[in-house]
Amino acid sequence: MPPVIDHEKCTKCGKCADICSEDVFYGSKKGEIPNVTYPKECSHFAGCVYICPAKAITLRIPLPMLLVYKPSEEIRTT
Amino acid sequence: MFQEEVIKADVLCVGGGIAGLMAAIRAGELGAKVVVAEKGNPLYSGCGRMGNDHFETWVPEVHGEDMDAWIEELLGTAKGEILIGKNLLRAQFRKAYDVVRLWDGYGIPMKHKGKWEFSGHTFPGRPFTHIKYEGRFQKEILVKQAKDRGARIISRAMIFDLLKQGEAITGAVGVDTRADKIYVFQAKAVILGTGKCSRLYPCLTPGWMFNDPHGNVQAGDGRAMAYRAGAELQNLEMPQRHIGPKYFAKFGQATWVGVVRDWYGKAAGTFVTSPDRRYGDMICEVSKLAPEQYTMAGKGPLYMDCTGIKEEDLEYMLHWFVHEGNISLLDHMKEEGIDLRKHPIEFSTYPHRGGGLIVANEKAETTLKGLYAAGDEAFGDISAAATFGYIAGENAAKQAGNTAEPDVERSRPVIEDKKTQLDTLRGRQCGPDWDETQVALQQTMLDYAGHVRNESLLLQGLHHLRRIKEKARATLTAGNPHELGRCLEVLNLLDLGEITFIMALDRKETRGLHVRPDYPFTNPTLNQAHIVSLRNGRASTSWRPY
Repeated sequence: MPPVIDHEKCTKCGKCADICSEDVFYGSKKGEIPNVTYPKECSHFAGCVYICPAKAITLRIPLPMLLVYKPSEEIRTT
Repeated sequence: MFQEEVIKADVLCVGGGIAGLMAAIRAGELGAKVVVAEKGNPLYSGCGRMGNDHFETWVPEVHGEDMDAWIEELLGTAKGEILIGKNLLRAQFRKAYDVVRLWDGYGIPMKHKGKWEFSGHTFPGRPFTHIKYEGRFQKEILVKQAKDRGARIISRAMIFDLLKQGEAITGAVGVDTRADKIYVFQAKAVILGTGKCSRLYPCLTPGWMFNDPHGNVQAGDGRAMAYRAGAELQNLEMPQRHIGPKYFAKFGQATWVGVVRDWYGKAAGTFVTSPDRRYGDMICEVSKLAPEQYTMAGKGPLYMDCTGIKEEDLEYMLHWFVHEGNISLLDHMKEEGIDLRKHPIEFSTYPHRGGGLIVANEKAETTLKGLYAAGDEAFGDISAAATFGYIAGENAAKQAGNTAEPDVERSRPVIEDKKTQLDTLRGRQCGPDWDETQVALQQTMLDYAGHVRNESLLLQGLHHLRRIKEKARATLTAGNPHELGRCLEVLNLLDLGEITFIMALDRKETRGLHVRPDYPFTNPTLNQAHIVSLRNGRASTSWRPY
């Protein structure tokens, strides 16, 4: 569930927790790796992804939100 | 037990979106002591959080000196049915170009490669209406401008009710969404800019509530508190729907350079026949219901088809996607191997969203003394938010200069009552949480005030919603300060849902998305503002010419 923090890369600066308007990182403590406390409240704007100076955050887009596209190849019907 | 902090200001801006920040900038510039209270963080809050790429404005070098001619052309074609007074649109457009130049001066690039760039939101052959601008970092820039003019910005402060003495607004109360603390604001003028009402109806992905192009914390807070304070609201029963990529709810209909086509490649409209960077496909503007109608007619799905796009136009579109706040959409397409050159993207009619607005005039004044409204709270888009935010800030500052300092202590019984309410929500051990309550609300709204409405359906829905509201008031639980904020949002939404039913019953006609088979025709005499306000504890409705 979004966002996903790479614990190896995270520098514990807390910027993601600071800027998230939904506060999905609620309860995170300064100087520690933020907790993704309310992942389902993520709005998938990727603000946290792009403010992270260590590029430690990725958004895992939940299955219900997968974009629907028309494939360029033929669809097998058997 | 809630701690209390009293904060005094001349002008209090509720919400730090585009409107709130522009209000803070202008009021600060005029010397007012300004506080912005934002329940998230204004650097990344509101519809404009990750950017916007178009701004509706007249530009004299492009459109000629006759601004009024451009305005009238715009009102005559591109706008379709207007559910607000044209005087408001005229006020916006007369100021919008000034605001564009201000933004350019602040460092938000309003030109592209040194020139005014127009595209999208325009019918081929008609005058252009929206400049393209690079808004990716607009919030950061506006926050800095507000701070430079002395505005104090308080994040994680969710205002939930207004304070009033007599008929004048004197402040507001809010909670800290990270600590058990109540904020008491004393202000000579309050500007509401809390945005849309996103969570009244279920979202695009059932069971996954936070998937709305506006973001998901816009819960109609401003409308609800304005109503409870006695201000007039308008047209709440007229829901809105948008159009965009299926299941990944994002704005940007006019940023897409493609043709809306069916599975077999047949265009849905007649405006463009191949991807055109100047116009996009206006079918999205003409009928946001097109994807749903295609499906219902057995012709679906419908796609935004960019195949055949020129390489330079693809690059152009991707550039503007970033500024329109759709960077996560681009990342997702990349991860999934979706190539717009060969993969049409299914478009969807997005679900119902709570409609209506707070009644405000050309000066952004609501019907309560000392209370202003701007942005999606009142009406409009990015241009309206910026322009009316500025107008609201100017008039609020002027009013504050002529108003004696109110004494917030005179509202002490009300404040203590609010504290008790908050204590109760936080203290309960057992009961529904906010999202359980919201599911109950949303299913009731969709089933009884959704696609089709009639008197019996609406009466049943109103009765059921009131039961939910009563139970929520008596049993809602907030496990921590974050959930307390969500609970207050849901309580606001319940109020707005109830008013929506009352107004839908009162609108005895079919118009737009208000479909009443028991009154199947549009009644031209009801082409007026439908007003509601709280009088003696009850919703009182009336009609007034726009």
